[in-house]
Amino acid sequence: MKTHTLNEREKKRKRRNNLVAYSFIAPNFIGFAVFTLVPIVVAFYMAFCQWDGSNPAKFIGFDNFINLTKDTFFLNALLNTFLYCLGTVPITMIISLGLAVLLNQKIKGRGLIRAIACFPYVGSIIAVTTVWRMLFHPTKGPVNSILFDLFQMDSLPQWFSGRLIILSYILFSLWKSMGYYMVIYLAGLQGIPNELYEAAELDGAGRWQKFRYVTWPQLRSTTFFVVIILTIGCFKIYDTAVLLSGTNNMSTSSMVLVSFIYTKAFTNWNLGYASAAAICLFLIVLVVTLIQFKNESKFSND
Amino acid sequence: MHSISFNKKINKIVIYILLILVVIITVVPFVWMLSASIKVDREVFQMKPFVLIPDNAKWSNYIDIWSRIPLGTFIKNTIILTVVVTLLQLFTSSFAAYAFAKMEFSGRKTLFLAYVSTIAMPWQVYMIPQFLMMREMGLNDRLLAIVILQAFSAFGVFLMRQFYMSVPDSLCEAGRIDGMSEYGIYARIMLPLSKPSLATLTIFTFVATWNDYLGPTIYLKTEAKKTIQIGLQRFIGQYSSEYGLMMAGAVISLVPVLIVFLALQKHFVAGVATSGIKG
Amino acid sequence: MKKRWVSILLCATMIITAGLTGCGGNTNSGKKEGTEGKVHLKWAMWDYSLIDYWEDLADEYMKTHPDIEIECVDFGSNDYSNVLATEMSGSGTEIDIVSIKDVVSYATLIEKNAIVPLDDYIAKDNVDLAKFNGVTDQVTVDGKLYELPFRNDVWWIFYNKDIFDEKGLEYPTNDMTWEEYDKLAREVTDTNFGSEVYGAHYHPWPSTVQLLGTLDGEHSILDKKYDFMKPYYEMVLKQEDDGVCMKYPDLITEGLHYSAAFSNGNIAMMNMGSWAVTTLLTKLSSGEFDPELCGNWAIASYPHAEGVEAGTTLGAITGLSVAQESDNKDEAWDFINWVSGEEGAKVLAKTGNFPAISNDAVRQEISSMEGFPQDEQSMEALNYKKMYLETPYGKDLSQINEVLGTYHSMIMNRECTVEEGITKMNEETAKIQ
Repeated sequence: MKTHTLNEREKKRKRRNNLVAYSFIAPNFIGFAVFTLVPIVVAFYMAFCQWDGSNPAKFIGFDNFINLTKDTFFLNALLNTFLYCLGTVPITMIISLGLAVLLNQKIKGRGLIRAIACFPYVGSIIAVTTVWRMLFHPTKGPVNSILFDLFQMDSLPQWFSGRLIILSYILFSLWKSMGYYMVIYLAGLQGIPNELYEAAELDGAGRWQKFRYVTWPQLRSTTFFVVIILTIGCFKIYDTAVLLSGTNNMSTSSMVLVSFIYTKAFTNWNLGYASAAAICLFLIVLVVTLIQFKNESKFSND
Repeated sequence: MHSISFNKKINKIVIYILLILVVIITVVPFVWMLSASIKVDREVFQMKPFVLIPDNAKWSNYIDIWSRIPLGTFIKNTIILTVVVTLLQLFTSSFAAYAFAKMEFSGRKTLFLAYVSTIAMPWQVYMIPQFLMMREMGLNDRLLAIVILQAFSAFGVFLMRQFYMSVPDSLCEAGRIDGMSEYGIYARIMLPLSKPSLATLTIFTFVATWNDYLGPTIYLKTEAKKTIQIGLQRFIGQYSSEYGLMMAGAVISLVPVLIVFLALQKHFVAGVATSGIKG
Repeated sequence: MKKRWVSILLCATMIITAGLTGCGGNTNSGKKEGTEGKVHLKWAMWDYSLIDYWEDLADEYMKTHPDIEIECVDFGSNDYSNVLATEMSGSGTEIDIVSIKDVVSYATLIEKNAIVPLDDYIAKDNVDLAKFNGVTDQVTVDGKLYELPFRNDVWWIFYNKDIFDEKGLEYPTNDMTWEEYDKLAREVTDTNFGSEVYGAHYHPWPSTVQLLGTLDGEHSILDKKYDFMKPYYEMVLKQEDDGVCMKYPDLITEGLHYSAAFSNGNIAMMNMGSWAVTTLLTKLSSGEFDPELCGNWAIASYPHAEGVEAGTTLGAITGLSVAQESDNKDEAWDFINWVSGEEGAKVLAKTGNFPAISNDAVRQEISSMEGFPQDEQSMEALNYKKMYLETPYGKDLSQINEVLGTYHSMIMNRECTVEEGITKMNEETAKIQ
């Protein structure tokens, strides 16, 4: 009898508690659910349909996915996006880590340098891509002009066409985002207790050894975070690609996944097919993220 | 002894050289932008010799651009959007994040998973159904559409939750024992503590909204509603050879974000330190 | 202190959201009923502030039709077709009148059932389609016509007389083959550093190269066999190699506008559509372009293929359609009929544009514009014998266009040879069902 009322009260308390919690979540969640979750669910359904956005949708099962595997444009876009990721992720990670280590020392003006390194990250994309296109202009740009003066090359690099355009994407992304990831690494560095370094110094460790045996392992979780965010960002590349290549009509060497999705959806109005490609993108990102999370939890359980 | 201090000096010099190199690489495009914005078109690509400030600097570019395109309207729209989105984002995200971090309730895991899994979801995947839905609600060509688009991101909730997780539970418990309601704890204990991560979220949201390109392209059609990014993009397409004017527009579009960033950047590192990284 | 900060934040959020939704609500009222019971029509278009005739047409029409109110909705030109199609998808659009920029967009909208066939209206008002010189036949779909053209542009060679005078060369004539054109471009080219003159200029659009092969009237971009493009690609690429024209990658990187390129005064000839006339004239008169450099321009008929009649050219139409979702279809039709008729043509010609109904009066109006070349040859070039639409209507047009565009940029970027590119075009278009 007594336990029963206790249970009842417990339940009541719990229900009240739930209501309070929901009231906290509601303002954001309602907006999020209506304007993000619902469209995502619709998009998943669309991937199995043939639909042009106006006429009734037709359910066609896995046809869209099967066709994707035979689509040269899709495969090319996938390849380019992978190449871009393979280039961007490690380079950005290494350079921003190096920068963070440098700026974590007592140096005059380091606050200013930190701020400056973040300028590209906050700068508006249209403005900075326009400047890049001017700087790397194949015939008139200062970059090629300097290359010519240095090496007297006969054929100067065409930065915005052919295979080189992926390199341009990579360089641009590195320039734009290294400041941001540097800040994340700086935050990680500041979390490393000083005693560890002192202990290492007592053991007679040099600069490199300190980095190898203290800094790097201590930054493990930061690195995981950086890699995840970087990888997700890389697979989502769109603005950079469109604005740097300067045309919506991309050649197979400059096309990336999202631009493929965009043309299929908004130029050909093959919404089902575009959604199928988008789902592929989502699955790739999901797998990468899951692997990273798994690694990290394994490490933090040690 | 002597050699150690000598070594240190060399070290310092190497560090400075590296840093100066980095600063040059990051700053050169901006300097080029500023310099080109006061040049006549044919001077822009002149390399031998390269002049930073031409003799007869064309400052009029900064005046002309306002009459060539409705820059005032664009900037006004963008500012309205960014401010509203940032405020909404700060408020709703920190509110929801508090519940996820500090309260026990049924469905917590499921709801949070819904948030986290969408972080990896590119917006392009669902922008079409989203557009059709929003238009059904009469939001087409309204600034409100962009507000809705940007204000309820999973990322904000995620970021704020990470920060609240790092605040010891004992603080909340103490508040509860003192008889404070959950709202009271949120407003009086958590929110004041979270200034750095609020600053971080402000920078993220501000930058993302200010620089958003595809969203406004799809939703904002009439000239009176356009933001600076799409306004500028059209100008660049139209007058691609007028580099001076183009660059003047670019510089103007940079100023507000840089101001916000510089005002908040002190908290930026601290904010990232406490929120972003501890899974 | 800290509490105040929170409350300020909360208040500000609420006020602003309330204000914003409030504003939204206000503009939403009066969707179809304008002021004083007028019928309100929404007209979708691009570049309202840059193109003169939109406003002129709407104003002129409203003057004679006081019960109609027309609201212009500018969708921008950059992504016009995509943005328009997004707007017209599903139900719920408020647009009544749709401006159709190109045939691809026309085809998309028909597939989406977003625009209505006009045949009943045409029959009711006895519109004689013959006045459009047969161009409506090229956009008739399954016996139905969904748009009336009001503007018709044709391709010409624009040339800079000063450059030819300086070199002492004859001007291009109205009867050239592409081979003769190539020869002339090479003669007038100057590759010396500092005094470069480009004999020809090809804007990066696929149409400036690919479509030269369709002038023979036997081929079209719907063929799914594109070997006919080969000689023209080879001609242009050879010209690039020899410095006769600017290189494609450079043009792309710069995003160089064709009018800006021509205004530098170092381009002797440029193949371009008649839409360039307005831009040239307005920018010359506003002082934005230097008349010393490009003020002395003229036009010649488009070169033709061997064995084809001179005066054959390519063309593009701009049309108007009635939206399926419109509540005021009759009023919208009346406006469209007016714009594509005599009165609309007058307004268009006054602004230096080429109406779809072309007659001597219209040509007179255009050639009498301030700054239009007055030589006999240019006058003669205004008349064309035969015009093929750049893109005739066909199934899967948007997909074909995409393939052709992709391989165009690959060929021009020299990422593949002409043969490879064309083989790919044939393969990829064959896959489209």
